[in-house]
Amino acid sequence: MTEDCLKLTIYFGESDRLGRRLLSDALLEAFEQAGSRAAVLLRATEGFGIKQQLHTQRLLTLSEDLPLVAVAIDRREKIEALLPRVQPLVEGGLITLERARMVSGAVTKAELPEQLNEATKLTVYLGRAERASGRPAYIAAVDLLREHGLDGATVLLGVDGMAHAARHRARFFSRNANVPLMIIASGSGEQVQDVLEPLGRLLGNPLLTLERVRVCKRDGRKLAEPRHLPERDEAGLGVWQKLMVHAAEDARHDGHALYLQLIRRLREEGATGATALRGIWGYSGDRQPHGDRFLSLRRGVPVVTVIVDQPDAIQRWWKVVDEVTDEAGLVTSEMVPAFHSVGPDIQRGGLRLARLRF
Amino acid sequence: MSSGAWVGLALVGGVGAVARFLIDGAISPRREGPFPLGTFVINIAGAFTLGLLTGASVTGAWLFILGTGFLGSFTTFSTWIFETDRLAEDGEEGVAGANLGISVVAGLAAAGAGWAIGAL
Repeated sequence: MTEDCLKLTIYFGESDRLGRRLLSDALLEAFEQAGSRAAVLLRATEGFGIKQQLHTQRLLTLSEDLPLVAVAIDRREKIEALLPRVQPLVEGGLITLERARMVSGAVTKAELPEQLNEATKLTVYLGRAERASGRPAYIAAVDLLREHGLDGATVLLGVDGMAHAARHRARFFSRNANVPLMIIASGSGEQVQDVLEPLGRLLGNPLLTLERVRVCKRDGRKLAEPRHLPERDEAGLGVWQKLMVHAAEDARHDGHALYLQLIRRLREEGATGATALRGIWGYSGDRQPHGDRFLSLRRGVPVVTVIVDQPDAIQRWWKVVDEVTDEAGLVTSEMVPAFHSVGPDIQRGGLRLARLRF
Repeated sequence: MSSGAWVGLALVGGVGAVARFLIDGAISPRREGPFPLGTFVINIAGAFTLGLLTGASVTGAWLFILGTGFLGSFTTFSTWIFETDRLAEDGEEGVAGANLGISVVAGLAAAGAGWAIGAL
């Protein structure tokens, strides 16, 4: 079954509280009560927000308030009904809404967003413990995506969330068996269309979303510039854009870790935020799927860095991304139709969905 | 050790931990580059101060409270090693080695300088 859906994403801080409760708990509880189809809470490895304050797991003191990303997926009406409950909870952070096609149940016929001329981003929502053909399902799924020639896939493990409408939460003393995870992959429209049916057979009862993106770079090679979108749509609503940079943690730029260089440069140049999420498995470009290696000091996991801003600003951040990904990295760009940033005395954007034809 | 010294140790130990958190929190966000300067400054300052105390022949309950209590919780071996490991994970083996080597050499020099000044 294919339905129009919305993806709600909230970027905030691990130590943000509402009175005595953690904001992360309050948000996930709201997603659970709303019965969201899928929800994932991700803990970032490094990032900064509108206050330009760096949070990183590299330094102990700066790691006690890491950036968090909460994602909820459902039919458009259900996310719109959830918004008035969730929006007032976020006193500092960023809320975005993105349109997607949601594919669930028996995936028989592949249906894609209108335009096939650009690339498609495929997101798969699973539980970590799910298995497929005798292996962890996420590893089998990544292999399948690579066989079908997709440009890259990154598996992000949640610390809390919902898979198949049931809440699964990671705890300290627990096997944390079925914590939800998401696989973010991108490829051409045809590749994604071809992989949907085998992916449905492999996973049995998957929940997938499809979004339109543009693949700007692959293995450090430039394929296209991000589209220069107008700042507003015809109705005057603000338009926003997102850049995602997928690279292995051991990918380098100027002799340093690529994702760390990217975050540092963006912060120096005054960007209003960037978040780096460390995956557990994945690949980009021509590399084999990789994760951590046993007894290796360097980490081999993939990292995704996310930047969301207004179209003119994205053109500036694209120049930084382009420089830093000169040797490696998969870069995608896409439109974000609603963006609401809240900080001390700051309010940017709003949550009405912009519409552009391109 | 008297019970008063134990209470002093507990209180001053807490102050040391808070001081480390505040000083590291003030240094680290301002720095770019991979070297963990906050932890380095704290450990070197701690080594210097412990040298100063022993050089000035502070002994008994005061050494227990200030040395073991305050400096014991202010300085940190575990964070030094933890941040070195994170550097190596990020492929910064050179900086990781420098963090180990420079900390040892600078720490010995700071302790020696503290001792010499304290003994004046």
